[in-house]
Amino acid sequence: MATDNQDTSNLDSFKRRWEPRIERFRRSWDRFTEHKMGVIGLVILVVYAVWSIIPGVFAPHSLEWVAYLGEPPHNARLTGEQIRSLPHPPAFGDPFFAPLGTNQAGEGILTLVVHSASTAMYIGLAAGLLSSLVGVPLGLISGFYGDTWIDETIQRIVDVMYGLPFLPFLIVLVAVRGINTTNIIIGIAVTSWLNNCIVIRGETLSLRERSFVESAKVAGASDTRIMFRHIMPSVLPLSFVYLASDAAGAVIAQASLAYLGLADFTADSWGIMLQNIQAEGYVFDAWWWLIPPGLAITLLATAFYFVGFSMEDVTNPQRDS
Amino acid sequence: MTRISGTYLAKRIVVSYLTLLVIMSLLFVLLRSMPGSFIQGMITPGMTAEQIERIRQEWGLNEPLWKQYINFMVNYQTGNFGRSPTQNTEVWSLIVRRMPRTIVLFGSVFIVGFVIGPLVGMYLGWWRGSTKDKGIFSSSLFVYSMPAFWISWLFIWVFNYELDWLPSAFMFTQYPEFEWTAFTIMRDVLYHMALPMLSLTFIGWVGSMLVMRPTMNNVTDEGYVFLARAKGLSERTVMIKHAARNALIPVVTGAIVSLAFLIDGSVIVEQVFSWPGMGALIISAVLSRDFPTAQAAFFMIAVLVVVMRLLTDVVYTYLDPRIKFGENN
Repeated sequence: MATDNQDTSNLDSFKRRWEPRIERFRRSWDRFTEHKMGVIGLVILVVYAVWSIIPGVFAPHSLEWVAYLGEPPHNARLTGEQIRSLPHPPAFGDPFFAPLGTNQAGEGILTLVVHSASTAMYIGLAAGLLSSLVGVPLGLISGFYGDTWIDETIQRIVDVMYGLPFLPFLIVLVAVRGINTTNIIIGIAVTSWLNNCIVIRGETLSLRERSFVESAKVAGASDTRIMFRHIMPSVLPLSFVYLASDAAGAVIAQASLAYLGLADFTADSWGIMLQNIQAEGYVFDAWWWLIPPGLAITLLATAFYFVGFSMEDVTNPQRDS
Repeated sequence: MTRISGTYLAKRIVVSYLTLLVIMSLLFVLLRSMPGSFIQGMITPGMTAEQIERIRQEWGLNEPLWKQYINFMVNYQTGNFGRSPTQNTEVWSLIVRRMPRTIVLFGSVFIVGFVIGPLVGMYLGWWRGSTKDKGIFSSSLFVYSMPAFWISWLFIWVFNYELDWLPSAFMFTQYPEFEWTAFTIMRDVLYHMALPMLSLTFIGWVGSMLVMRPTMNNVTDEGYVFLARAKGLSERTVMIKHAARNALIPVVTGAIVSLAFLIDGSVIVEQVFSWPGMGALIISAVLSRDFPTAQAAFFMIAVLVVVMRLLTDVVYTYLDPRIKFGENN
């Protein structure tokens, strides 16, 4: 059991340990907020995050809502005339309220867009994280043992992966493992760690010549310790940049796969909405259905890029002329 | 003047070749692990077991896996890609017909993108942090984030559907009395190429800009830029003649990355515009389980990428005298 005395001393040591880090974080945050770009990106991400956690609050209807009939239980069927009026352009008031119109099936576009945010956020973050988890350690190892057989092996693996075109390879991968969101994420991660690995390797190659690595070596630190305790903190910010752009790439890749008919049709997503508009043949007749999902994808990917590139500025302060 | 040693070059070529062999093996495993078999389309319900057996025999599916693998590796290196089960022609002739179409479209996108991208990147990197930079940079990232097929749809919607200026599908005008002379063919292809090219370049140039901008920013601190300024040269001359030339070097290697991007773009955009190129071939082959064709198409892309990677390393040494390969080996 901890006594009061121990508690305060723990707190003190906690403070002592964390204060410089908090201070550093605050300084980075100030630099980050200097850029409007990063802040805009963060705001978009927060909005999407909130949408994915509590979509019900922001969507005008539930997912079961149907134009003309409203929320379930439906005790009527759509008449022929009503079916012919679908997809319906944006309409307010009676007989229904659909701020962005409806699709062929009578579902509200805005409702679908809001409810789809979670899939996109999940795919983006999971694929970005996974590819960083593979790319960063491999890049570190490859760079640290630069010009040895270890580096050579890892770089040849990268070469092999580069030789396989991203999207067709992904299609085969998804076809082999079955089409569901998890496999799509794994497929994207498998093909997108390459840039991560190459950049981290280059950074490590230059870092390992620095004096602090030299002194750690003299002090008898093991290779693993040098790599992960001394070099990694310096390359981590850079890897966040690549995490963000991998996440953006993943969101776009998922939409492209959905367009080709390779997406999990049980999960609502913007890619599926675009696939549907094509399948139903309304691409050029229903702008209210065409524009929102594509714009949602674009904004999410933009937000990831914005945050990533602002991070780059934070970690690599350049002369502002 | 040769900065690249012969032994290094020989070693790189051997390694590239081995890389290709590994890619081929990977392709063999991957495509065979896909569910379904490419002869399924040829088997009709009324067939007897014997007939099915004969088809399997004909396509070499009864041989042990290792033998199929050896055959595949040997055949590919002698240029024998086999027959396509769905198209019923030689795969090689399919690829020979498709490859130039993709090269025409994506070659031009590549070239135009590589003029615009580095130029914009040069200006943005030189005046990094200015309002101009912030505005153009963030809007280019926005453009870069658009799904390729979606932006193609928007372009088709505006330029074909609403304005009816440009055709949105195929490579040639499809009417019988078309006069097939070299000039009309060229004009016709260019006319059909305009819209897909516009959609692809709209997104595609950003890739090389993203590489150019930071490298351009890095060279602004170099001594030779100071020297050029001190000589009283105009800002414009310093930027273009002294800084940009050196900042361009990483962009050349970056070309490989954007080449991969173009191949991905080709898959989607060729589908949208019914452009009869390699991307469309790959997708239809994979989706219809036409493994011989898919394999060959993958193989051709792999060869292209491996050769280009080798080339960039060689070109690199000529562009930057400071880089020397094969010194410490």
